[in-house]
Amino acid sequence: MAAMVSTAAPSVAALSPGRVALRRTLRHGSFWAGGGILLVILLAAILAPLLTPHDPTWQDLGKRLVPPVWDTRGSWEHPLGTDQLGRDYLARLIYGGRISLLIGFVTVLISGAIGTALGVAAGYWGGRVDLLINFILTIRLTLPVVLVALVVVALVGNSLTILMLVIGLLLWDRFTIVTRSATQQMASREFIVAAQAIGSSTGRILLKEILPNITGPLIVVASVELAHAILLEAALSFLGLGVQPPLFTWGLMIAEAKNQLFFRPWLIAIPGAALVALIFAINLLGDAVRDVTAPEGRA
Amino acid sequence: MLRFIAQRLLVTALVIAVTSVVAFSLVHLTGDPAVAMAGENASPEDVEAIRKLYGFDRPIWEQYLTWVARFIAGDFGRSHYLKLGVGEVLAEHIPVTAMLGVLALGFALALSIPLGVVAALRPNTMIDRLALWIAVAGQALPSFLFALGLIYVFGVLLRWLPVSGDTTWRHFILPSVALGYYATPAIMRLTRSGMMETLQSDHVRTARAFGLSRWRVVVRHGLRHAIIPVVSLAAVQLGFMLGGSIVIETVFSLKGLGYLAWQSIQRADIEVIQAILLVIAAAYAVLTLVADILNAALDPRIRIG
Repeated sequence: MAAMVSTAAPSVAALSPGRVALRRTLRHGSFWAGGGILLVILLAAILAPLLTPHDPTWQDLGKRLVPPVWDTRGSWEHPLGTDQLGRDYLARLIYGGRISLLIGFVTVLISGAIGTALGVAAGYWGGRVDLLINFILTIRLTLPVVLVALVVVALVGNSLTILMLVIGLLLWDRFTIVTRSATQQMASREFIVAAQAIGSSTGRILLKEILPNITGPLIVVASVELAHAILLEAALSFLGLGVQPPLFTWGLMIAEAKNQLFFRPWLIAIPGAALVALIFAINLLGDAVRDVTAPEGRA
Repeated sequence: MLRFIAQRLLVTALVIAVTSVVAFSLVHLTGDPAVAMAGENASPEDVEAIRKLYGFDRPIWEQYLTWVARFIAGDFGRSHYLKLGVGEVLAEHIPVTAMLGVLALGFALALSIPLGVVAALRPNTMIDRLALWIAVAGQALPSFLFALGLIYVFGVLLRWLPVSGDTTWRHFILPSVALGYYATPAIMRLTRSGMMETLQSDHVRTARAFGLSRWRVVVRHGLRHAIIPVVSLAAVQLGFMLGGSIVIETVFSLKGLGYLAWQSIQRADIEVIQAILLVIAAAYAVLTLVADILNAALDPRIRIG
């Protein structure tokens, strides 16, 4: 018996979907490129105090708008120059990623929980539950995201918690759409019917049978929505109703540098490039996961 | 078909009704409108006076019903900041946003459909990859950043186009490009996959076998079928653009609905904010309705199946 298991084990292990997925992931170029960029940004955000000697909020009004080091007037003391209040731009760039990433991850947790719960319920029970959830989804899609977020933030009062809650409560729609159809496909499979037949509780079926089998599409949506949430935060901060000083993000840095566009475009280009790199990395990772988990849909 | 339309009309009416409740409660339940309107330096008496004047002291459902009843009767309320009827204010700003939305959609279609078709004709070549990269880059670029980039290149470096205001048609070029770019990835992907599917179908093969010119095969027999889902996507994207134009309008100082919304939020001009919310949501609901009906009209499988 023991011998049989040991001889069968390697081939079974080689075929297990998890292993196959992992191996495909590790061979995927987008995974390494996206993961690499994201890792650099994450590490920079976490290790910020070790990377720069400057305090990102320290204002040196005697050294305002120093150009970056590649300009003839620049110096290595402030490699990316300083902003309109004389704050070191490299320090602001490194620290600025922190809040963006925090908002991104927290809001995706909120929106993912809401959207997945609704989507799985709609997909599993169907019928009236599906109709009702579909209607709620339609209402949500009908409301313009940026506008609603601006209104709520302006009226409730602005804080980081409120900002994350608002974005999280708004961006669950895609989670619902994707998990709903994934669950529908699962619900009629034999192993779900079998679980129902042996009397597994509904909660057990949803959590132990359905949820683990829709993680692929779930990760893909999560990556899309992570990017979406970070972009929305940047847009709200850009419009002056997102993150408020003394907190700052790349979106707010761009907003503060808006008036410098004509004479010092680098003040916008630097945080802008960081933002684009972050979103690009997240999208690449999402594409890699999509390729690995749903190879039939590969373009 | 009539039954289908009636059904969709009913759903749309229901959606707009519920949305109006949401728009109203967003403005009235998330803060004290009287305090917001009175401003920071107001005395408690001032706040109380405003509360009485606008009826904020009455039950919330009563306020809602009054608002809806007046809205249906064509009275959209009064802007306490501009001292004008909300109807007049909206009438002044809606054309700008509508123009921007239509131009942006036109740009998006003009860019994404040819790209999608070419990508489908030559899959996995340089052109296909390039089209895909344009789409991927579009998704990673924040709209306001892209807008600022356009301003810098075409307004500051080249000095070809005006970057602020809405007095001539040339003022609309950059904002339309900035707004329309975001609809291109979705439309391009849908055109590409639709084209690839159609080009493999029997009737296209037959058309080829009859020796029709390549152009005729691609456009008359291929694109005509592949474009069906694109039509409804375009209607939905137009709805998204109306809601998303707030960022672009603010960057380019286009005095449209989004710009008005942004200003009204800062002025706590509640009547205007809730009217804009309702108008944009209703426009989106109607556009999705149009998309559904167009889809059904163009593709009989949907209305029968």
